[in-house]
Amino acid sequence: MAIDGLERAGERTPALVAVLNGAGRILLDYGSLIALVIVWEACARLQIVSPYLLPSFTNVLARIWAEIGDGTLLVNLADTLRRALLGFAIAVVAGVALGMLLARSVTAEWLVGPLVSLGFPLPKITFLPIFILWFGVYDTSKVIMVVCDAIFPVITATIAGAQGVERQIIWSARNLGARERDLWSTIILPAAAPQILSGIEVALPIALIIAVVGEMMLGGSGLGGAMMQSWRFADSVGVFAGLLELSVVGFILIRLMAAVRRRLLRWHAEAQPDLV
Amino acid sequence: MGSATQAEVSGAGGAKGDSHIVVSGLTHVYRPRHGRQVTALDDINLTVGNHEFVALLGPSGCGKSTLLYLIGGFLPVEKGSISVLGEPVREPGPDRGIVFQHFALFPWKTVRANVMYGLERKGLPKREAEARAAEMIAQVGLKGFEDSYPSQLSGGMRQRAAIARTLVLDPSTLLMDEPFGALDAQTRNLMQIELLALWRRSPKAVVFVTHDVHEAVYLADRVFVMSARPGRIKAVVSTGIDRSDREFVKSRAFVEKVDEIWHLVHDQPQGPR
Repeated sequence: MAIDGLERAGERTPALVAVLNGAGRILLDYGSLIALVIVWEACARLQIVSPYLLPSFTNVLARIWAEIGDGTLLVNLADTLRRALLGFAIAVVAGVALGMLLARSVTAEWLVGPLVSLGFPLPKITFLPIFILWFGVYDTSKVIMVVCDAIFPVITATIAGAQGVERQIIWSARNLGARERDLWSTIILPAAAPQILSGIEVALPIALIIAVVGEMMLGGSGLGGAMMQSWRFADSVGVFAGLLELSVVGFILIRLMAAVRRRLLRWHAEAQPDLV
Repeated sequence: MGSATQAEVSGAGGAKGDSHIVVSGLTHVYRPRHGRQVTALDDINLTVGNHEFVALLGPSGCGKSTLLYLIGGFLPVEKGSISVLGEPVREPGPDRGIVFQHFALFPWKTVRANVMYGLERKGLPKREAEARAAEMIAQVGLKGFEDSYPSQLSGGMRQRAAIARTLVLDPSTLLMDEPFGALDAQTRNLMQIELLALWRRSPKAVVFVTHDVHEAVYLADRVFVMSARPGRIKAVVSTGIDRSDREFVKSRAFVEKVDEIWHLVHDQPQGPR
């Protein structure tokens, strides 16, 4: 009863408290970023650094606003995301399939295993000239670059996940009547999901990075391309706008990925800290 | 309980008409990739009667779990033979249900989905599978937790789910690998009582691995006492406990039987641990 009354009396305050709490949290969580922005703005305003080398944060924001207004941001964003996400999707599907195959088949391991070990540490960007030669400077080359870089963490995570499935989990499934082909889809894939998703989470920012690098090196539209364009025209505000836009896009993508992980792994102990 | 079968298969060897599991001349050697090979089991002979509850009792490292895994078909039989209901064991199958110490539930599936897994593999229609799973879940006392994930359950509840997942397929043989070893004493005792009740309701041949003498005498008709390195059966003891008396744990016969078997287990040269 007492608690009831208290709650009713404070009916207005919870909303306010929640807002203040929220603001406090943001300050706490992103304090370092906010401090960075303040120092940045101060340096630019006080002309400690020339505005050509470091345009003020507010100017950069104004530019981003303008780019939103005239639609250039949307166009560039769509180009970059298309390349990054298409390459990412191919890397995920092919990487999981290949990883499963490598974990399962001695022949596949013999055929492809050394290539994976050789390819992982190799800077894939060295293939760019070859890809340009073969596929031109348009989307195909850029997407292939993304796939080449993003696929390795997916493959290795899938192999590790598939090989790390507890023996007794597999025995249980066999005991309950699972055939060999049932095992892969109904047991090993879901059991390895936490590790596979970790690999996918590593692959996502790589996909974005490589898409932008590809745009920077090969030109064309997209956020990376636009940044190089600005640089050529000595438009430092444009360069910094691109940087800021990319960091926000990356942040949102990673947050979305984390949400997908939580959804897919809602069975996992990591998703339910307060239970039991 | 099962005293008729006991009389007939009291020896360790001789295969009788109603023997359910027959193991003869079974030797199993572990060959690790590195290090020396170990003879885990050396010339094991045993029979388990229909509807008989036997315990494999011994110190850790005596190969009792290995023996269970061999009967389950999880490890290949290299020397000797194992047959269940006259059929040589070649691979795992739902006729020989197994329950592991650490449950081995599928953590990404709910209790219901775990219990339904085997029914789905049999190709049962979804509606029927759901009905049978619900009934089994109720039998092990997990009603209301059908949609919980294993990570949301206590140890005892997880083992109930694992038992339900196995028993729902109504296996003629039940293999249990220290199933209550990971539970606290109170839960363990409760689970023992309920296991006996389940077994009475639907009798089957049970092979129960444990290193707990009390548990072995409490549950089993016969206890196979094993010794370690190499794993051998050094004694077979019929418990002959009348479990119709609810207080049988306090009976003189029970206490003496525990004592007798305890001495059998510990009366061996202590090797390096």
